[in-house]
Amino acid sequence: MTSSPRLENFVAFSAQITAFNKVEIWGTGLADVYLDTIDGLVGAAVTDALLDAFAPIATLRSDAARTDRLRLEVFGSERLGPVARAIVKLWYIGVWYPLPSTWQEQFGPTARNDAFVPTPAAFVEGLLWPAIGSHPPGAKAPGYGSWRLPPNIPSF
Amino acid sequence: MSEAAEFDVVIVGAGVAGALAAGQFAKSGLKVLVLEAGPDTTRDLASYNAHLETFYTASSKGAETPWPPAEGAPQPDGADLFKQEGYFVQRGPHLYGSTYTRTFGGSTLHWLGVSLRMLPEDFELRARHGVGRDWPIGYAALAPWYDRAEHAIGVSADVEEQRYHGLTFTAGYDYPMRRIPPSYSDRVLGAAVNSLEVDLGEERVAVRVRSYPAARNSIPRGDYQPIGALDIGSDGQERSTYIGERCEGNTACTPICPVQAKYNANKTFARADRRHLTLRSQAVASQILFDGVTGAVSGISYKRYDDPRSTSFNEEVATGRVYILAAHAVENAKLLLASGPQSGEGQVGRGLMDHPALYAWGLAPFNVGAFRGPQSSSGIEDFRAGGFRARHAAFRFDIGNDGWRAATGAPDATVIDAVTNQKLFGRQLRTQLADQLSRQVRMSLAVEQLPDPDNRVTIDPAYRDKFGNPRPVIDYRIADYTFEGMAAARKVAARIFRQAGIKDCSRSTAELRFPTAIYDGEEVHYHGMGHFAGTHAMGSDRSNSVVDEFQRSWDHPNLFLLGSGSFATMGTSNPTLTLAALALRTADHIIAKLHDGG
Repeated sequence: MTSSPRLENFVAFSAQITAFNKVEIWGTGLADVYLDTIDGLVGAAVTDALLDAFAPIATLRSDAARTDRLRLEVFGSERLGPVARAIVKLWYIGVWYPLPSTWQEQFGPTARNDAFVPTPAAFVEGLLWPAIGSHPPGAKAPGYGSWRLPPNIPSF
Repeated sequence: MSEAAEFDVVIVGAGVAGALAAGQFAKSGLKVLVLEAGPDTTRDLASYNAHLETFYTASSKGAETPWPPAEGAPQPDGADLFKQEGYFVQRGPHLYGSTYTRTFGGSTLHWLGVSLRMLPEDFELRARHGVGRDWPIGYAALAPWYDRAEHAIGVSADVEEQRYHGLTFTAGYDYPMRRIPPSYSDRVLGAAVNSLEVDLGEERVAVRVRSYPAARNSIPRGDYQPIGALDIGSDGQERSTYIGERCEGNTACTPICPVQAKYNANKTFARADRRHLTLRSQAVASQILFDGVTGAVSGISYKRYDDPRSTSFNEEVATGRVYILAAHAVENAKLLLASGPQSGEGQVGRGLMDHPALYAWGLAPFNVGAFRGPQSSSGIEDFRAGGFRARHAAFRFDIGNDGWRAATGAPDATVIDAVTNQKLFGRQLRTQLADQLSRQVRMSLAVEQLPDPDNRVTIDPAYRDKFGNPRPVIDYRIADYTFEGMAAARKVAARIFRQAGIKDCSRSTAELRFPTAIYDGEEVHYHGMGHFAGTHAMGSDRSNSVVDEFQRSWDHPNLFLLGSGSFATMGTSNPTLTLAALALRTADHIIAKLHDGG
């Protein structure tokens, strides 16, 4: 994966909205795939607007401040909010879920309107699994008998 | 029997029953042909892994997701339940909620692996409790074949934990592998409820969380060698894979174990003597040919296709001395009904059963490590037997290790709710998911169903698949006996949750993605367990059954019907182990007859 300022901005944005760090986001190997997927679905102009809105927020020192501004300016935005929420779900579950019909009526149809998994790795790299101290079903198995042990959810 | 027969035995269906029988025949030197309707894409590792990718890339994951059917061998799919389309023609009044797979290996590709024996009293339900019907054989007669079946498919359990409700074992017997370690949540739940006693009518029942026998690889006993992932080349030679000799905790038994630590029927074919075994895939049996005078089977006509995506085929006929239908409870009945002369005095297809089941789900007071381990590792077996069976159905609980997945679509549904409805993201989202998902507890309450002649599989010329073969038409009603068992099961589950401090969420978030019935003025959301049975039941004489105790057709002397279709009643155990034991018993019977020149 070749890096670019735009991809780095997307990784920083993804880290902020998922509460995983940038190394973990890069480590999925999916950042460029997802950015391409999102550009293809909603158009690069919408993605750019999202990343532009995040740029000044990214410079804030405190996580609480970044979260507050994100809630107001991105997740609270009629245009950017549903896209940001779809990106959170994409990172956590590995599935792109269609944007609400009200969004598409207002801002234009997306290239696809069904739920889909962009690549098999998307399911395997879903962030919800490390978030709950587990692994995706059918992949990254923890090994014989591991399930006997008390659970351990990594702190973040 | 034709002297020009090409094979000694022709078997329809490359699932567990057909594989076990075929293995026995080949071992005894009999020439066997197996016809499989579906494609042969599950025995080499690269093709198997392609099925795994199909699973990964599905946005919605059901039991059939990794195993899409060929055009000419359609199969039921859970997604079809609420549409007036799909393979089954459902006439109700209740929906039959189960599915199966038509491909090499059959439904063992996506089963959970639960390998319980039936209880001694399950074989004598009429004699002991005055309901249902009795089997022509008892537990004692089948016990030696249970031993063999447990070794043939590879079952993990500790025998001392399995002696309950009158289950006895051969002296010195133990399962081929040690029990699958119980999960952390099993141990937490057991510690909370193992002292609990529940009143069920006039009986007081002590509850115990107990690990169940599972056909998943564990630590072997003695010289038993677990069989892991297969990789059979196009030359028929097996290549070593060195994976899957232990369960790795993939939490995906259903719909696909990625390392094949769970038994599937292909493992039995892989161990069979290939000199005597012919496997023919993409061959859809469409008609049994009978001798008009003797009633004996003279051949099986099948439709062979080259391309699973195409609807074109060639018709061929297979001939043997003995014929076995091991195609599934529904497919066996369908094939018999489609073949002309009515067999079994109108009894074929009647008595269809399942284990209609409810979910109970709740939130534990602390992190119990949900979504780890095999999908389940323990159950509650204490309500499988008792005097109450005269009044209502027996039941057993399966205790899940995968949160509310089966009941609500968690964890995906939990994430979607948190993000879309609760508008969470970032730290708040991650914190809430970790807190809630890790505490999710789910039990399946599987309830016995009695044979009812009006619950049946029929065919209708108006409904055909793309090859022109009939589609199964299903009439299905859940009787009060089962509904009352469900009500009792629900009360027991609620009591167990209360005892363990688990907040019961079962009713507040009732899902409408399951079939619904109304009982006693209330909606009941139930689901199928995939436990089709009873469509060609065995009995003591031809007036009350389709086959005898050796699963031999009363009407066609060289025809045997294998599988859970032969069950006279269901009991509460998952049917695979019992149908496996019956298949081995039938194979021995046939081998003795054929070697006698019979």
